Amino acid sequence: MTGFGILIAILVPILGGALVPLLDFDARRAREYYVFAIVLATSVYTLSLLSSGQGSELVLYHLTSTIDITLRIDRYGSIFALLVSVLWPLATLYAFEYMSHLHKKNRFFGFFTICYGITLGVAFAGNFITMYLFYELLTLATVPLITHEGTREAKVAGVKYLVYSIAGATAAFIGMIAILTHGGSLEFAVIGLGDAATPENRRLFDLAFLFMFFGFGVKSAIWPLHGWLPTAGVAPTPVTALLHAVAVVKSGVFAIGRVVYFTYDAGYLAGSMVQKIGLAFSAFTIVYGTVMAWKEIHFKKRLAYSTVSNLSYIVFAFLLVTPSGLTAGLLHMMFHGLMKIVLFFVAGTVMHQSGRIYVTDLRGFGRAMPVSFATFTIASLALTGIPPLCGFLSKYAIAEAALAQGSPLAYAGVAALLVSAVFTAAYLLTICVRAYFPPADFEPWSLKSVKEANLYMTLPLVLLTAAIVLLGCFPGALQAFIGGVVPAAFPGL
Amino acid sequence: MTQLFTLLKISDGLAIQFGADGLGRMFLCLDTVMWILVGIYAFKYKEHMKHTKRFFAFYLLTYLMLAALSMAANYLTMYLCFEFMTLLSMPMVLQDGTPESIAAARKYLMYSIFGATLGLLGFFFSAHYGAGTVFTPGGLLDPAKVAGNESKLLVVAFLSIAGFSAKAGMFPLHAWLPTAHPVAPAPASAVLSGVITKAGVLCILRVMYQVYGASFLAGTWVQKALIVLSLITVFMGSMMAYGEDLLKRRLAYSTVSQVSYVLFGVFTLHPVALLGALLHVIYHSIIKDGLFLGAGAVIFTNHKEYVSQLHGMGKRMPVTFGCFTVCSLGLIGIPPFAGFLSKWYLAAGSLSEGLPVLSWLGPAVLLLSALLTAGYLLPISIHGFFPGEGEKEAEGKEAPFQMLFPMLVLALGVVVFGVFAQPLADALLRIAEAMF
Repeated sequence: MTGFGILIAILVPILGGALVPLLDFDARRAREYYVFAIVLATSVYTLSLLSSGQGSELVLYHLTSTIDITLRIDRYGSIFALLVSVLWPLATLYAFEYMSHLHKKNRFFGFFTICYGITLGVAFAGNFITMYLFYELLTLATVPLITHEGTREAKVAGVKYLVYSIAGATAAFIGMIAILTHGGSLEFAVIGLGDAATPENRRLFDLAFLFMFFGFGVKSAIWPLHGWLPTAGVAPTPVTALLHAVAVVKSGVFAIGRVVYFTYDAGYLAGSMVQKIGLAFSAFTIVYGTVMAWKEIHFKKRLAYSTVSNLSYIVFAFLLVTPSGLTAGLLHMMFHGLMKIVLFFVAGTVMHQSGRIYVTDLRGFGRAMPVSFATFTIASLALTGIPPLCGFLSKYAIAEAALAQGSPLAYAGVAALLVSAVFTAAYLLTICVRAYFPPADFEPWSLKSVKEANLYMTLPLVLLTAAIVLLGCFPGALQAFIGGVVPAAFPGL
Repeated sequence: MTQLFTLLKISDGLAIQFGADGLGRMFLCLDTVMWILVGIYAFKYKEHMKHTKRFFAFYLLTYLMLAALSMAANYLTMYLCFEFMTLLSMPMVLQDGTPESIAAARKYLMYSIFGATLGLLGFFFSAHYGAGTVFTPGGLLDPAKVAGNESKLLVVAFLSIAGFSAKAGMFPLHAWLPTAHPVAPAPASAVLSGVITKAGVLCILRVMYQVYGASFLAGTWVQKALIVLSLITVFMGSMMAYGEDLLKRRLAYSTVSQVSYVLFGVFTLHPVALLGALLHVIYHSIIKDGLFLGAGAVIFTNHKEYVSQLHGMGKRMPVTFGCFTVCSLGLIGIPPFAGFLSKWYLAAGSLSEGLPVLSWLGPAVLLLSALLTAGYLLPISIHGFFPGEGEKEAEGKEAPFQMLFPMLVLALGVVVFGVFAQPLADALLRIAEAMF
């Protein structure tokens, strides 16, 4: 029974979303009730699945004797599903208000809800093929959201995103084929390549790993494959916030984790050349993203580059291939989701309330939009890594995992982490300083028309910020939940 | 630390804990007394400021963080308080809202956060190689884990100490200090220079003596490099102060130099030198607060900011200049004023520590710097009281009593702590000896 439950969780938002354009709501209120009901029901149902349905499985059908479409709830996927199902209702609430001035709302909310189901599909995929399927679907379903505004810029961004993502997925597909044809297992329940990893096959598997790493590295925005992410910032803010800070990019990171821990394993990767390549690229991306964010003055693009940097924290932690690296990466996956969505939401709120898009134009906004900027400041401090906020914990966990691993590249990663912390302070706290402490010649009446956003926007901000603080102070339950992934990914321990 | 108060236990090895040891108590007393005196002064000085509510809010919040920093019982708590102290004191720097003050505040923020981030590196390593987390005299590292990783840890020790030294204005991370301190309103400059720089000293003390342990660092390249850096700073700060005309910036450069006296004593890793360092922490706080309040009084009542404008002002502001002169004499180190004794112990400790070259080079640099101190402070008093023949009589009036009172108390402190220093020195010696 619970096997079918997974299918329900995935299909309800997909079908429910597909119905939005068909039902063609005219009234804002009706559409909001409908969409929110679907999203909330999915979240509640998913959360109940996570607590009661661990380990349940559903084989949808067999493509061939070796390839099948399987859904399964394991702990690793549950962590991603938890993140997504908590954030989606809040982002939906925010989107209702944000989209109120834009056109074609039915199309937007249709695809927005469909993406929820597809992301859950990525999380609950039981083998590589299934994950690949949902991964590609996610690309296709998010393109209309990026191009939503219909401007030339938006269309270019959409095409760029499509080309990058499809190319990446194709590369991953090639790696997948190589494994399949040489006796490796694509089932996530089977850890490692097993007997297939003979010395003769090793070179091929190494190559396949690189294909998959860089293939999924597109969505994880690993340098030099990150280019689509800042460009995609033209999308409406709920899309940038939820999809480009959480669902889409984390799908990439999530897939890399699947490759590292469930297709390959620690025994194969530890100390290998491909691990070093991965660590080097992710450490470099941490610094690259953070420096680019610092140089950028477009508010949302700055946050997008910050995402580039932070995603590589997670990838870096995963590639340490130790239990503490895996849990540290997952912890940052959760926390970065919380922090970055708050930052993006505030950027969007500022755009929505005042139309300003550059960080240099935000003088005095702290007083004009007190709730938004209070949450922005807390999220900024958290992302910088100030205790006892949640971002500190995950950074600490990553650093400790790196020190325990102890290779030179791991130390380089710690250095990258610290460099990034300084730049993060520079590119976020300067915004706060400007917003709260305008120069003496600043005239408050110039912001007279700028008002704080309404409850649709501030409520998600306040709830998420509360989570940032509370999870930073009391992470025990979450850490225990994440820690449950270790026995599955390291059966030898 | 015997009694610990755990505010929040985040997870294993991560807790926000406070405890009171002698060192923390000493800093807490110092912070509190200074905050009260400067606060009294600020109640009058605020007539000169906009956004006074904001100023006092951050003034008090900064005190809160300083107090918490003094009582921090482990590295995490210390790092947290250090970061928040920076964030909460930064608005006092940009109080005036001029472009220069905002730029200065940013500079302050970035230097401090950069330094704190290096400190965070130290935290990562201390958590990894430590036997516990609570600060322990003699160090908290686990010898079994450390074995074989000494060279790595020495690099980290150097970086984290250098990081915290940004707050104390040590070369090469000193540049923010002469930018940020002068643009702040005088009460803020006084506590920034006199007290908050000492927070950097406290963090360094904790890291050197209670995380790594004096015996781990003694005689290593880390100790030598740090001593060299502190001596460079002592000399450089004095030279820069000597050549500076803007009074508050001259005092800020003087802080750069004087706090590195303290650091020199800390780095020497000798009980007597450490006693000198702790004494100098207190003396310099009293003296530098007195000097900044004096400079602020001149700005407040007579709108004069440059040393060259002060000729003859001593006759118009006898009390202000009297206090200023007493503090100057203390800072130069003329007995029996406070400031002499601390330098005496610094030199004595350094000479008996016996590092080659550095043990005598240090006292020599301190002596040279004392001469420079006389050179950049005494002319202010001399020209203030005895303007040259034929110079125009300066206009101006004495500062109001509410501003004079804290200055008088501080000047009295310079005399009393100089003449009757024995009880203080005894108490500090116990603290210093307990660090080893």
